[in-house]
Amino acid sequence: MIMLSRVAERLYWMARYLERAEDTARLTQAYSHLIMDIPAGSEPGWDILVRILDAEPIFGENHRVCNEQNVLKFLIADEENAGSINFCIRAARENVRTTRDVLPEEVWEHVNELYLYSVENAARSVGRRNRHKFLDQVITRCQMINGLLMTTLCRDHAYRFIKLGHLLERADMTTRVIDVGAGALLGHERLNQAVDPLIWSCLLQSLSAMGTYRRTIGPLVEADAVVEFVFRDGSLPRSVKFCLDGIRQELVPLKNHKAALKVLDRARRSLSRFHAENGEREDLHKFIDRFQLELNTLGETISTTWFMPPPEND
Amino acid sequence: MNNSWKFYNSGKKGEFFDELITDTGRPRQVAGHAVKMLQGLSTTAMAARRGAAELAIREMGISFTIYSEGKNIDRAWPFDIIPRIISGREWQKVSRGLAQRSRALNCFIDDIYNKQKILADGLMPADIVLDSGNYKPQCANVSPRFGAWAHVCGTDLVRDKDGRFYVLEDNLRVPSGVSYMLENREITKRVLPELFKNYSILPVDDYPSHLYSTLASLSPREQRRPCIVVLTPGIFNSAYFEHAYLAQGMGAELVEGSDLFVDSDDCLYMRTVDGPERVDVVYRRIDDDFLDPEAFREDSTLGVPGIMRAWKKGNVAIANAPGSGVADDKVVYAFVPEMIRYYLGEEPSLASVKTYLCMNEPDREYVLANLDKLVVKPANESGGYGLMVGPHATRAKRAEFAKLIEANPRNYIAQPTLSLSTAPTYIDDTVEPRHLDLRPFILQGKDTWVTPGGLTRVALVKGSLVVNSSQGGGSKDTWIVENSKKSSKKGAAQ
Repeated sequence: MIMLSRVAERLYWMARYLERAEDTARLTQAYSHLIMDIPAGSEPGWDILVRILDAEPIFGENHRVCNEQNVLKFLIADEENAGSINFCIRAARENVRTTRDVLPEEVWEHVNELYLYSVENAARSVGRRNRHKFLDQVITRCQMINGLLMTTLCRDHAYRFIKLGHLLERADMTTRVIDVGAGALLGHERLNQAVDPLIWSCLLQSLSAMGTYRRTIGPLVEADAVVEFVFRDGSLPRSVKFCLDGIRQELVPLKNHKAALKVLDRARRSLSRFHAENGEREDLHKFIDRFQLELNTLGETISTTWFMPPPEND
Repeated sequence: MNNSWKFYNSGKKGEFFDELITDTGRPRQVAGHAVKMLQGLSTTAMAARRGAAELAIREMGISFTIYSEGKNIDRAWPFDIIPRIISGREWQKVSRGLAQRSRALNCFIDDIYNKQKILADGLMPADIVLDSGNYKPQCANVSPRFGAWAHVCGTDLVRDKDGRFYVLEDNLRVPSGVSYMLENREITKRVLPELFKNYSILPVDDYPSHLYSTLASLSPREQRRPCIVVLTPGIFNSAYFEHAYLAQGMGAELVEGSDLFVDSDDCLYMRTVDGPERVDVVYRRIDDDFLDPEAFREDSTLGVPGIMRAWKKGNVAIANAPGSGVADDKVVYAFVPEMIRYYLGEEPSLASVKTYLCMNEPDREYVLANLDKLVVKPANESGGYGLMVGPHATRAKRAEFAKLIEANPRNYIAQPTLSLSTAPTYIDDTVEPRHLDLRPFILQGKDTWVTPGGLTRVALVKGSLVVNSSQGGGSKDTWIVENSKKSSKKGAAQ
């Protein structure tokens, strides 16, 4: 089974963009609900969504105020923000368009439909009235495409690179979700203890993990327990540990995997050494920042190993 | 008979040959069943079938790209549901003639890049060949396997009023259209399935496997399964759909220039996630000029630096071989009958169109005096660009061409205006005659193989002779029908 580097790269990015669109939709959805639950006056600002996505510089170019309208427009419909849902879907479609021959036919059809849906609806789904339906559609359609890929793709290189893209993006986005709760960004002196469980429940919901948390850990939603669960529960599909284990599983059968495995194992060790108990919120935030850098390095290593091999020295 | 066919008039007696209807208005024997069935459909039923065809085209995503005002526009493939039907017995002769022609053309190309015997023997003036932009000195002294250069040849045929097929031109560089031939058949199967019951129609859908065998036979390494790639300029090329289609049909990799590189061992490799993978055969769909920036245009980013080096050393096969275009020059065309006699010792079995070479003084004088009767073509343009159809041209246009010819006679040829045959075509709500041509594809590797039928292109504009899809042409499914005893006994004309 031959897999061109260019094709592998496009499949990998298709998966990353699809995952990014879905996760951004999940986070935005959960955050919108949260804001409605918190008593007026003590609710956190919208700026936090921009900050956890490390998007302040791009946001700042075109917007002065971090209000609901501006932030949601930026996350949902912005044509230039590489993290906006609309942008991610377009980028995913471009990648599928040129790799149609290695994917099941229906994948192109569904990705194309998702794109047409987003083009038509993104701009008018910024307001609260249509927002929920749009985000819900994006999540559902992404899930359908994922399901299609997982149930029809032959377990070869194409599958492997798609899986790598999904898992790496998901691991990264999950750490960002935790970062919202870390509070360092929230300016937590404003928040009272009563609000804290609301925030953590909301974050668990954005990961579709509320029910599992209750069954596994218990009905009380506490910061340390949630962090522990979302970071290190190996059975939760959106936990960081689950994603890293999955990445390892896909890296092993690939040739020249040494460098990537080294970076990955370093990240896995940092994860297992980190303990949420008694940790300060500030420490948690700092850990997440460092950890995201490790994930970045992994992405770069994957790219230099398999996507852009230097032609001279082979 | 339904209303759509009521006024079908295949023209004045002897003015045009109609593929399906005779001068007396009856269906030709071979088309009997089909015409009867189609005439039996009500106007709404006809429209419904066309609707079904349009839906199939959208679903199958069959499109082509046209360039207009600097933009690329993706258009749905224009398809006419009424098939063109040719009898198997007639096709056999045409097919033999095509194979003969392809063999002679390949002998010619091989000769020109090696011994140049035909020039030494004085059958053709050397400057015609060697001064042409299509002659690539970079290809001299290369002998590809089986002496085959133009592995895939698309030859355009037209049928004149005498009912005979004539060769209009040979496309030996990167002929396209074969995927549309295959898709047209798929659509017809969906839209007119009942017709397939009464006819035994030669299948076309094994083309990708014949192409695969032809390409595999060229592999420089004896291997059970050689590594074959289809080299495309990319998604923005007008024929990208076809490139992807053929790659998929052959189980070959669809690659772009940046996927390939030539290593210090002068072999061609593609970049894969498992490291470099040696490539044996490149079915390239980019022009010579862009193939290798080291050998041809330096500014090309579509090609592969060093691929010519790898090819000359025999480490990789390229189909069609670089330089093949030397034989599809319209001036060279005039000499093909001579080539067939010279290389094969046979008489040409397919007719060519009388061709006036403007470079020869007597011919030029004749052409300039008869511009209103002739078709003038530039010697090496394709796609129907830059030609003038004398009888349809304005006085100013003819004057413009007279100037062009006098300024650069080598660059122009002229041919009598042929009366392209017509076939019933479903336009709006009526069936009307429209002019058409036919492009069969000939494969040349270890063996020669000719598609049964080919791509029929039809000029959808009334009276027009320009069939190119870039200029308002459509297409039809083309049937080669075996003459079974059953159908000949029935005598469909009654």
